[in-house]
Amino acid sequence: MDIVYKILDFPGTKWVFLIVALVMPLASILTWMERRQSAMMQDRLGPNRANIGPIKLKGILHFVADAVKMIFKEDFIPANVHRGLFALAPILAIAPVFIAFSIIPFGPTVYPHALTQTFDPTLLATYPALAGADQVQFKQAAELFSDPIRLQIFSIDFGLIFYFAVLTLANYGGTIAGWASYNKWALLGGLRSSSQMMSYEVAMGISLMGAFLVTGTLEPGAIATFGASASMSGSNPLNWLWLWQPVGLVLFFTAAIAETKRAPFDIPEGEPEIIGYFVEYSGLRWGLFFLAEFIEIVFVAAVICTVFFGGWQVPFLDADGFRIGGYVDQITGVSTGGSVWFLPHAVVVLLQFAAFGIKVLLLCWFQLAIRWTLPRFRADQLMSLGWKILLPLSLANVMVTALIKLLFMSGPETP
Amino acid sequence: MSASHDHPSEHGDVLTDQPKVVSVADRHPRSRTIQVLRPEAKDVTFLAATAKGLGITLKHFARNFFLPLKSAKDRATAGAPIEDKWKNEIETIQYPEEKVTYPERFRGLHRLLMRDDGNVRCVACMCCPTACPAHCITIIPEESGGNGVEKRPAVFEIDELRCVVCGLCVEACPCDAIRMDTGDHAKPVEDRADAIETKESMLARGIRSIAVQGGEGANWKTGGPRGHNHDH
Repeated sequence: MDIVYKILDFPGTKWVFLIVALVMPLASILTWMERRQSAMMQDRLGPNRANIGPIKLKGILHFVADAVKMIFKEDFIPANVHRGLFALAPILAIAPVFIAFSIIPFGPTVYPHALTQTFDPTLLATYPALAGADQVQFKQAAELFSDPIRLQIFSIDFGLIFYFAVLTLANYGGTIAGWASYNKWALLGGLRSSSQMMSYEVAMGISLMGAFLVTGTLEPGAIATFGASASMSGSNPLNWLWLWQPVGLVLFFTAAIAETKRAPFDIPEGEPEIIGYFVEYSGLRWGLFFLAEFIEIVFVAAVICTVFFGGWQVPFLDADGFRIGGYVDQITGVSTGGSVWFLPHAVVVLLQFAAFGIKVLLLCWFQLAIRWTLPRFRADQLMSLGWKILLPLSLANVMVTALIKLLFMSGPETP
Repeated sequence: MSASHDHPSEHGDVLTDQPKVVSVADRHPRSRTIQVLRPEAKDVTFLAATAKGLGITLKHFARNFFLPLKSAKDRATAGAPIEDKWKNEIETIQYPEEKVTYPERFRGLHRLLMRDDGNVRCVACMCCPTACPAHCITIIPEESGGNGVEKRPAVFEIDELRCVVCGLCVEACPCDAIRMDTGDHAKPVEDRADAIETKESMLARGIRSIAVQGGEGANWKTGGPRGHNHDH
């Protein structure tokens, strides 16, 4: 049995699970949801017809129709393109997003031997101390908590820095596509995508620094698990960073929408003027650019959810069940006391995984709402927004956060 | 010093949002330094406008998402006041299932009318193909075989893809043989040949006309109302 848990805890397995169970379904449905939601916002009905026989599902199957269409379209490669780079660009656009998903915690740590019973976090925190005192109890506890499966592909200390580093690479997809297409409009689109990236990337990094200061960590798993303050349970919505870093949230959200290269920041695309860096692409290659855009939406939603909205935490659901009242034990770091509705470990894990999906879906929905509300920015407006507004504000946010932390939150806070 | 002073012909006083000219070069009066107004804070941050816009779009979204559709009749009458406030604002007619009734004088698909005995009323006088500006009517006449009517169409075809739905054929017809009052439009087809309406298909939509016509029975010469045939 050990080998099964080893395989389950293997990063590749978790990556496949995350992509197949969460990211691809969400991204596929988003292609339909965007059209349907924009229709609802404009008093229209939207696509509701695609069906397989009698199965209609309000038109959700449109993404299947889209995929079939793209697969059977001619894959046209114009003369004079750089064939190697032309083929590489869509992959460069989509691969970094998939890689960056490895830092996102999509659930708590699962203890497969304890699934059926109520989880005891105090025992988990204290059982190593039993080693000398009570061998029988220690062995029981060690067996219970063996083979943990952490629902996060890589838990690395520099997690969010890794995200910035990897997702910047995705921009090369657009730039190289523009360069390799041997088309002036595509080249302009690629250049615009680079210049846009320059404008928001700095502000995006700095807008999260306030959050790093508050939590004292860069690791998204730790931010989601413990929240901002060690004196509150991580499942308390007041402990999530939207309350502690509201300015950072707005700034990061703005920059993150620019990162997805969608309206109001769809400067690299501009259908009436330059069409976009993918103007020479057709069929499945174009489909990859399209899909990359939607996967980036899901990813941005996942990052915002993890950093600012408690990640996989369900409000007031601790590891052992729903808790009202209670306090955090300062020695073990575990929430205790209060009135608790105990739940089995498996139920808690499922609820928390579902909560992560729902939060990500809602944030995707909000991004779509913004995309269909705002008109698009001009290139110079984006520059002035990025350099003259977002950057100074995010710097001020870091300063103020640091000052408050220094004055009012004394002592090193190690969650 | 304002721009209108230097170039009265180019810059009329009508344009009030002209940039303010700070100085003009001595040698070349068109080289000017202008003052650009700094945008106000509310124009720069976009936040207030974003929130306002989101309020509007999300109100529409919530209403259309949570409330049921209006009845097909209410949706068909565009701009009508919403009587039931617990219905959403979507106006879309879901076409094949729901249809808008066309106005009474809508010129629809052609049909050929019949005499009392069920034969085609058309006497192949060739008025309608002559009047037709799109040349979409083809008539091949033949002897009708002695029921008092000299000719009848052996072939009567209308290419609905060429038809411009002007109604001139109906105007031209002297014996009420062709009408465009079916209230239906030309059906979509997969083959161009399928868009050609034949005598049979147009007769299938036809009815017996009560108009007075030449040939056997009452005509304008003998006078009297229609119904002469029924009398004997």
